Amino acid sequence: MKILVIEDEQALLESILAYFTGEGNICEHASDFAAAYEKISLYSYDCILLDLGLPGGEGLELLTKLKQLKKRDGVLIISARHSLDDKLMGLDLGADDYLVKPFHLSELKARVSAIIRRKNFDGDNVILFNEISVDVSAMKINVKGNQVILTKKEFDLLVYFLSNRNKVVTKNAMAEHLWGDEMDLSDDFDFIYTHVKNLRKKLLEAGAADYLRSVYGIGYKFGDI
Amino acid sequence: MKLSNRYNKANILTSIVVLVITGIIYYVVIHFILTEKLDRDLAVEENEINQYVNTFHKLPLPASYLDQQISYKTLSGIISEREFLNTIYFNPKERENEPGRSLITVVHLDGKTIEVTITKSRVESEDLIRIILLITLGITVVLLLSLLLINRFVLNRLWRPFYSTLNRMKAFEVTRMDTIEQEPTKIDEFNELNKSVNAMAERVRQDYKELKSFTDNASHEMMTPLAVINSKLDSLLQTESFTEQQGVLLEDIYHATGRLSRLHQSLLLLAKIENNLIPDFQNIELKEMVEAKSRQFQELLEKDRLILTEDLVPVEVKMSRYLADILLNNLLSNAVRHNVSGGYIHIKLDQQRLTISNSGNPGHLQTKIFDRFSKSVDSEGMGLGLAITKQICNLYGFRIEYREESGEHVFTVYFSD
Repeated sequence: MKILVIEDEQALLESILAYFTGEGNICEHASDFAAAYEKISLYSYDCILLDLGLPGGEGLELLTKLKQLKKRDGVLIISARHSLDDKLMGLDLGADDYLVKPFHLSELKARVSAIIRRKNFDGDNVILFNEISVDVSAMKINVKGNQVILTKKEFDLLVYFLSNRNKVVTKNAMAEHLWGDEMDLSDDFDFIYTHVKNLRKKLLEAGAADYLRSVYGIGYKFGDI
Repeated sequence: MKLSNRYNKANILTSIVVLVITGIIYYVVIHFILTEKLDRDLAVEENEINQYVNTFHKLPLPASYLDQQISYKTLSGIISEREFLNTIYFNPKERENEPGRSLITVVHLDGKTIEVTITKSRVESEDLIRIILLITLGITVVLLLSLLLINRFVLNRLWRPFYSTLNRMKAFEVTRMDTIEQEPTKIDEFNELNKSVNAMAERVRQDYKELKSFTDNASHEMMTPLAVINSKLDSLLQTESFTEQQGVLLEDIYHATGRLSRLHQSLLLLAKIENNLIPDFQNIELKEMVEAKSRQFQELLEKDRLILTEDLVPVEVKMSRYLADILLNNLLSNAVRHNVSGGYIHIKLDQQRLTISNSGNPGHLQTKIFDRFSKSVDSEGMGLGLAITKQICNLYGFRIEYREESGEHVFTVYFSD
């Protein structure tokens, strides 16, 4: 997939680019309003990551321009502004999602993947990973022809892992993804363990390889062995 | 006490005292003058009698005097002194007793000593004094009345700009950007007051604006490095060449940054609620929301083997959905966090209140639990959750109460005061 990252904070930009590059993804970037405008008018992207506070212009204006150009690029707003107004305005102007800084890269990736899935496979929203196929809209999982029955949380977890395949995902990020970051959770994320354990067990029973690994006790990694 | 009342009091009291003293002086002086005049008339009469006696060697007839009464008495032995005195005498003309002024004197006629009493009516002078007294009293009353009226109407009108400025100052809110408008007045003091008040309001507003934009900017600026730290940590984690020990360190850093960003978001949220910057105001079906929330907390409850019981009826409240969510979140998180393993949580919702009670350790929480950054020693939270909860309640006119009875902690939110 082709992604454009519009972000003026160099360090953050580098991290995002490093996290997204690879696995057939092409990432481009722009650090100010003019460069971003040039890129969106010249090319089409599967998803645009848009920071709202940009040197040389307001990020929301780019959304309006994008609409004027009649482009169907997916847009994810990343903003330091935790404001409901900005969020609603951004979504009104045609953004697909809104993520507040600071965020976990894994969360960003999961959201971008979701946007791209929605854009590209209208109605046929399936993730494939080796022998595992996940139909996101129907919430069905198939491993080597075997149907796997998962709870809602386990299913969300699997989709999250598949969006971040071959990456280490922290328990913190997983908890925030599954329960929302408003929850003011305790720092003890051990309850995640139960869900991961159950998911792994069900996948193994259905005949999938053991793709899940625990990493340093911080998190998990789902990917090629 | 109002200034005008105070002023009235002093004014009226002084007026009364001055007028009473004036009245007394008036009375005494006029009385004295009139008595003096009577006495002089009596002395003239005495003179005439003396001349008459000297000329005609006989006493004048008492009846020949119209205005005064004269009586004679032959004295033997004791000779009384010449004196003036007030008496009551019978006035034959008016046929009644009247107050009078008498002069008792002595004439010598043919070797006899005769006491002469000349009496003149005092009625007229008494009348005069009474009239003067009445006029004085009348003036006093009229003066007092007019003073009261002046104070009542003129002073009230004069002070009106002052009170209107005062009211506007009371209604002044730093967050609203309207100026304190002034009632037009020609009085310099009030104009100056208005000018100063407006200048002060402007200054306060300016300071507030600067402070606010500083806070806004500071928090945004803080968010960016925090986002960088977070993303760098995520990137660092992908390099996958850590020892177990380094892993623990990384986890600690994760926790710290997580806490920092949550703290930051909570502070921003608090500021927003305080400034009433959360506009989405709607009817919330609280029962459904509580049910959804308890489903969301399922895993947390299971982890501590907590038993959740609910007693809910459909209730609609008017508030922001976002804040309702945070309110329930905070109360439930609190109930989970300050619980004991294998304990319980009970949620009761009716038209008047939402009650969340949970088991816990007795004497766990202090009295200042709704203050910012107040938390128990073993709490993992930041001490902002309940402060936010309280602010949300304040915003919508709800009342929140906490009590603890032998290990049961009960939070109650009343939907009206």
